[in-house]
Amino acid sequence: MAEIHLRNVSKRWGSFVGVKSFDLEIADAEFLVLLGPSGCGKTTTMRMIAGLEDLTEGEIRIGDKVVNDLTPKDRDVAMVFQSYGLYPTMTVYENIRFPLKVRKVPQVQHDEMVMRAAEMVELTDFLHRKPAALSGGQRQRVALARAIVRKPTVFLMDEPLSNLDAKLRVSTRAQIKNLHHELRTTTIYVTHDQIEAMTLADRVVVMNKGEVQQVGTPIDIYDNPANTFVAGFIGSPAMNLMEGTMTGGVFEGRNVRIPGFDGVRDGAVIVGFRAEDAALAETGEIAAPVYSMELLGDSSMATVQAGGTLVAIKAAKDFSAEIGAPVAASVPAAICHLFDPATGLRIAKGAA
Amino acid sequence: MSIAANRRSPLLQTFLGAFLILWLMVAAFPFLWTLWGSFKVEGDFFSKADWSNAIFGTLTEVETGAPFTLDGYYGAWVQEEFWRAALNTLIVVVSVVVISLTFGTLGGYALSRSPYRYAFWLLIIALMFRAMPPITLVSGYLLPFFQWNLWGHLPTTIIVLVAINQPFTLWMLTAFFRNIPKDLDESAMVDGCSQFQAFRHVIIPVMWPGVITTGLFSFLLAYNDFAVTAMLLSKENQTMVPKIASFLGTTQTKGNVMFAVASVVSVTAPLFVLVLFFQRQIVSGLTAGAVKG
Repeated sequence: MAEIHLRNVSKRWGSFVGVKSFDLEIADAEFLVLLGPSGCGKTTTMRMIAGLEDLTEGEIRIGDKVVNDLTPKDRDVAMVFQSYGLYPTMTVYENIRFPLKVRKVPQVQHDEMVMRAAEMVELTDFLHRKPAALSGGQRQRVALARAIVRKPTVFLMDEPLSNLDAKLRVSTRAQIKNLHHELRTTTIYVTHDQIEAMTLADRVVVMNKGEVQQVGTPIDIYDNPANTFVAGFIGSPAMNLMEGTMTGGVFEGRNVRIPGFDGVRDGAVIVGFRAEDAALAETGEIAAPVYSMELLGDSSMATVQAGGTLVAIKAAKDFSAEIGAPVAASVPAAICHLFDPATGLRIAKGAA
Repeated sequence: MSIAANRRSPLLQTFLGAFLILWLMVAAFPFLWTLWGSFKVEGDFFSKADWSNAIFGTLTEVETGAPFTLDGYYGAWVQEEFWRAALNTLIVVVSVVVISLTFGTLGGYALSRSPYRYAFWLLIIALMFRAMPPITLVSGYLLPFFQWNLWGHLPTTIIVLVAINQPFTLWMLTAFFRNIPKDLDESAMVDGCSQFQAFRHVIIPVMWPGVITTGLFSFLLAYNDFAVTAMLLSKENQTMVPKIASFLGTTQTKGNVMFAVASVVSVTAPLFVLVLFFQRQIVSGLTAGAVKG
């Protein structure tokens, strides 16, 4: 049993707000990802759960124990650091064994536990090397093995993949997903990479400037972003956000005119849609000259200027157009998301 | 050598070689001259008639029957009981190194991990104390030491030397500790260590080169000190350096200068051994970027 409850958790340094009243219940065995740009307070939140940072306000419970005043070692958490934090004077074996040694696990069990952890991350060939003699991916796996070796109640991972190259990142990501499936340990994972968040998470917490923007499943966050920040952060490319005005159910902006928003209040509005939901057509809601063309491999991406911004539209990979040539795209109202330009919050479609 | 950028013209090569040899000779000459001369009698080493006597030992042969003599060493170590001074130096040096390293590592670690601004000011003050000439401390201490009857004893000198040395060790060790990423402490603490256990099991093993380098500098300070030991130690408690000075100070008696020369060689020899022995640690300590995991 290791639910984690965060109640009104805040962190301030003087007048600077690192994390602002964070409320969350994390279920047992859940894989929760804290996602946000750098400096958004996601790592601080994790460090407060680990006990490496004091809370300014609020309460953290792990299981049914309030852990606010407990030192990291008494919280029964394991953490993987961005820089791995391996002990350079010890061999891989000693590194993985270290938590068992300091926590006074009976000596006779050490070897078996270390070997099992090493097998899970495929490190058995490197046990007698020092960390300095390992590649980045191998070091990362040592850090993982050291975290899983003693079966903690909570795993904390602080951007564990950000120092790896792109290819390794994908395979290690799969490994982490698999480990979580096998161990069923409550995991909190910090990242600024939305693809990692989408692929790994049961639930994602999107943060910005110390505040929680949205909590939800990856699909939920992708399909129903709560505000323009989430819409602009999630997805690759991010959601297109056009500025314009709504008059009698018709959205108009530069190079764009979308009818069909019946019942939406008149006035300034932001309309968002995803590049893959729109399609190039003979005539359409958006008509503008091509700004740039990018070939992505499985498709190509046409960019046009519309609604005061650059709008990306996904096209077939064999589509090509000269820069400056006129194109049109069909962007029906059904695929659009509406946001209030003043607050950035989502406006429910059909609401008065 | 095959890399074009590293290839030098033969002329430059020769010049560099010649310069190096010349430089080596100039640098090493005083040591070698003293070493050679320490096996002669005073009449040779300080010969007024012919400087080459110091090399060939003409008078040494006349006086002792051989071109080399151990008279200087015998006189210093046995007759003048230089071994007592050596023992005192050993006590002082070991105590100073152990005490300053103990406080230095603990304090340096604390300062390097402290989030507060006072840590910075403490270090600045430490640097200021380090910059003062040691004698400024001694002049202030002398009178109270006489009055409290503390003057002349080894422990008093040890305390004063630690006081002079501590700011430096603190400064240097703090710098070394700062080079060790905080992630190491933190992962140790999450793995189940208290802060002190993290220090002992994880940080200190990484810190060894830094500790050894700092220890060596502390050693040299205590070993080479003249100002403090000369002022604060009574004659029977003298360490080696002031003892040498006292050999030189009594030139009325023949042979004492040679005692000084012999003891100078005796004092220098251990330093060479020490530096050779620890050179790997010193180099890695001075290039402390190597601690990253």
